[in-house]
Amino acid sequence: MNMMILQRYKNELIILITLLFLIFSAIYKYSADIDVNKNKRSTKETITQINHIKTLKKQWGGKQLANRVKILKTVVPNDKVVLFQKKSKKLTASYKNLTGTQVSKLTNKLIDIPVQITRLDVQQSAKNLYTMEFTCKW
Amino acid sequence: MDSVSLKHNIEIILTPTFYTFIREELDIRFAYQAKQIAQSLFDDYLDPSREYQYHVSKSNGAWYFYAYDIEEIEAFIESKGIEKHRVSKIYFAQELSEELTQPLQVDTQMALQTIEGIITMIPLSLMESDVEFKTLKLEDLKLKNGVSMGASHTSLVSLKETILLSSLFLILGGTFIMEGYRIQSSTAEDESELMRLLDDNPTYGSSMIRESILEKYQPIDKLERQKRQSIKDISKLLSAKSELKALHIEKSKISADISTSNNNIIKQIQKSAKETNLKTSISGNSVKVERSL
Repeated sequence: MNMMILQRYKNELIILITLLFLIFSAIYKYSADIDVNKNKRSTKETITQINHIKTLKKQWGGKQLANRVKILKTVVPNDKVVLFQKKSKKLTASYKNLTGTQVSKLTNKLIDIPVQITRLDVQQSAKNLYTMEFTCKW
Repeated sequence: MDSVSLKHNIEIILTPTFYTFIREELDIRFAYQAKQIAQSLFDDYLDPSREYQYHVSKSNGAWYFYAYDIEEIEAFIESKGIEKHRVSKIYFAQELSEELTQPLQVDTQMALQTIEGIITMIPLSLMESDVEFKTLKLEDLKLKNGVSMGASHTSLVSLKETILLSSLFLILGGTFIMEGYRIQSSTAEDESELMRLLDDNPTYGSSMIRESILEKYQPIDKLERQKRQSIKDISKLLSAKSELKALHIEKSKISADISTSNNNIIKQIQKSAKETNLKTSISGNSVKVERSL
């Protein structure tokens, strides 16, 4: 009896099966779409966050900074360097009788190096002569 | 024919009483094409008030067309006490055309015999009295062109519509699956990049650690960029007619004293400082500029 019914309605059955296939494949596509959008956003956010952390750490905690700050001693004549003390990850420096150009040059070098400037004092001591002190860490 | 009682499925061979047969040599390749024209072939031979089903087969280069009334067959089967679902397949006696060169007695009045290649019902009264009837061994027969009882009923949806709709659904379904797979694969590149990053930095796998590192470095980044930008902004205020007296960076403030002997220069410094959001205050010939960090 069942086989007869199947035979009689085989066309409808074929359409029903293919329609079910269509419905399930549409559900699969829809759920894949939702899952992927959700995961993709989360994955991209994590990647961006990790890359941001790597950049920040490299910039503000780079291992080469201890060497890079040495240039702050050589950029002006040695007799103008009063103090250049590097201790652990901290630098304290003091200069005297710097010309305006030398102050500018030294300041530009300082801001080019990604160190944390905790203190900076530039004071005119005489006409076109300056004293400069700063403390930075990394 | 006597009534029978069955407990198993059977197959039956229809005598020409239950079907109309036409043999045609047509230039048709497929059975579905032959089936499409079947109805028109029988137009002049069938009772238009009854509903017929059609079956086609090909033999010896010719198409065999059968028209039958399934309800008539069912009524006959049931009149003999056979439940119709017990009949799994129906064959047409025409398939026995090669076997029945000798007559086969069907009942007390009729016999079957092939006449000019077509199985025909012949009344026994027209046959000679000493005719020798053939005995048919059903188990030796190889019948192949049968139709099932269920399939004989007219379907609500035609074959053409079925092919069309199911093809459309299959194509659409296949497209959805391919699209779904493509969408899922699209994350593979991002995920492999994330895996590579996490392999290089396993500690970054934890969002708490990431947040903690960002909390440490983001304020440093913001503050130091502000300090550097402020130094650049102040340096732009200086010119040949002005002089830097002092520059200080403290914990939360950057300030500078600029002196000049020209009132116009003071106004110019004030204007430029305002454009870069630096606060200014004038004291005699000097301008103090500052910015909170």
